[in-house]
Amino acid sequence: MTFQAENIRVSYGKTQVLRDVSLTAHAGQVTAIVGPNGSGKSTLLGAMTASLPYTGRVSINSANIKALKPWELASQRAVLPQASRLAFPFTVIEVVRIGHQAGSSGDDPDVPMKALARVGMAHYANRTFQELSGGEAQRVMLARVLAQVWVPVLNGQPRCLLLDEPVSSLDIAHQLQVMEIARDFANAGGGLIAVMHDLNLTALFADRVAVLSDGQNIAEGPTADVLNDEILSRAYGCTLRVSALPSTKAPFILPHTATA
Amino acid sequence: MTALSDVIAAPRDRVHRARSLHWVLALLLGLAALASLEVGATDVSLSALLLKLVQGQELSHIEQIVLYDIRLPRLAMGIVVGSALAVSGATMQGLFRNPLADPGIVGVGAGAGLGAILSIVLGSLLPASILAVAGNHLTSVAAFLGGWGSTLILYRVSTRHGRTSVATMLLAGIALGSLAGAVSGILVYMADDQQLRDLTFWGMGSLAGASWTKVFAATPLILLSVGTALCLGRGLNGLALGEATAAHIGIDVQKMKSIAILSVAGATGAAVAVSGGIGFIGIVVPHVLRLASGPDHRTLLLNSALLGATLLILADVIARVIIAPAELPIGIVTAVLGAPVFLWILLKRRGLVEL
Repeated sequence: MTFQAENIRVSYGKTQVLRDVSLTAHAGQVTAIVGPNGSGKSTLLGAMTASLPYTGRVSINSANIKALKPWELASQRAVLPQASRLAFPFTVIEVVRIGHQAGSSGDDPDVPMKALARVGMAHYANRTFQELSGGEAQRVMLARVLAQVWVPVLNGQPRCLLLDEPVSSLDIAHQLQVMEIARDFANAGGGLIAVMHDLNLTALFADRVAVLSDGQNIAEGPTADVLNDEILSRAYGCTLRVSALPSTKAPFILPHTATA
Repeated sequence: MTALSDVIAAPRDRVHRARSLHWVLALLLGLAALASLEVGATDVSLSALLLKLVQGQELSHIEQIVLYDIRLPRLAMGIVVGSALAVSGATMQGLFRNPLADPGIVGVGAGAGLGAILSIVLGSLLPASILAVAGNHLTSVAAFLGGWGSTLILYRVSTRHGRTSVATMLLAGIALGSLAGAVSGILVYMADDQQLRDLTFWGMGSLAGASWTKVFAATPLILLSVGTALCLGRGLNGLALGEATAAHIGIDVQKMKSIAILSVAGATGAAVAVSGGIGFIGIVVPHVLRLASGPDHRTLLLNSALLGATLLILADVIARVIIAPAELPIGIVTAVLGAPVFLWILLKRRGLVEL
């Protein structure tokens, strides 16, 4: 599978927030979108999920998403928004079931509970969603999208998860847990696209990175090629130094070494 | 960590409870229907009539009229109006993602009110030919046209580039409502004493005007609208997660909004046209059901139809019995009974459950 965005332009009124941005994500890989605040990361994800009007072409498995019916899309990809507010007192398990029914993950009625267990929230199944803390709610929503595309490859067709800042309100243990889930989904053959704030988590988990700055794509490619001093300093507007531990190849960025 | 097999069995399933509630509510509706046929201003009672029929006796002319032309159409109207109001309430609340929404928000109430007032105050100015055709149903027809028309205007105003903004609809509804209220105010100012009396009673609602003509006129539209709304369960569940997420999980959000708004306008417009302004059913019924068996719209909508019909029939029985042989406007009964129950539920559940 490839999830492809070509020459995406998005305008809010007269302001162009995305200018000819392209991105390719392959099945079996974690693709991260990084960039400073307001660079257009979430807007790009919004265009790729057809949540906002755009020009350009977005395709999943080479089919234009504008030509697919909502339910056809829902069976091929699931989307985790940055924040979710729920109307009405649904319980946690009911929320996850709504996701499960949306995809074509088969009739296995245990999928919602398995998905909750995957994010470590199974014991909260009967809680009211509105009682949860921000981080717990985010993990339940992750379980909801996992339940939608529970099988990463269905009938030979890889499916895709699009996550908008999936770790933004999580503690470090759960950040790692969520990134492991993302990693596993890709390892099992699914496609995974995540908007990321944390460059170090990106370096640890992403196979490919696209760097956005000011509505433009300034770099895209394998993580090790893209996360370097020059590109990151240009994107974020401050001097950053990328280092690597001798034991692993993964680069890391130490904020202490940054100069504004 | 808990073993997965332990927790899988755990979730208590409110869906099952809501499904068994279908049967309980259907039974209650049946009982309420019997009560509604049993009591009334005359001492004709269903049990006595049934006994007569079983014994092979003919019903007297009066008994026939009371049963077939007064109580049965009234019961039928109570069922369709009650279910229309409750299902429309549940649909609106789902659409606006707000438990306080009711069909009034899409301008049905204000528009229907204006239509009714127009017909009561200015109806006599219409050409005689139109009056002859409309007859006693002029107010009903005008109320329906007013309700339906104002909803269509609101829908047009709040739809741009093929997307309907429910926030715009809410605000435009307030504006249109005040405008209709102001025009109604002018008409009320112009009205004479008898017209004022008619207006006031219309606003309080009643099933007293029930006739087979009205039942046959309103029922097809209400059945169609309510039936359509009953199919929106999955979509409204998705919408509870927000419009964007609803689209992501495969719901054609715009199509669903149009269907919801049109079916609410149809059901409420027809209900208000034949029975006047009956409040509280649309808010209390879905709310009570959400507390009882959860907010899942796939079961909530049907349960709302059943409970709405039951409550309206019972309210009508009370309205008929309490000061017999005269009767109270039913809107008073639904408010007097509905408001305290509603407050009691809110106080009891305060702090435990978010609306």
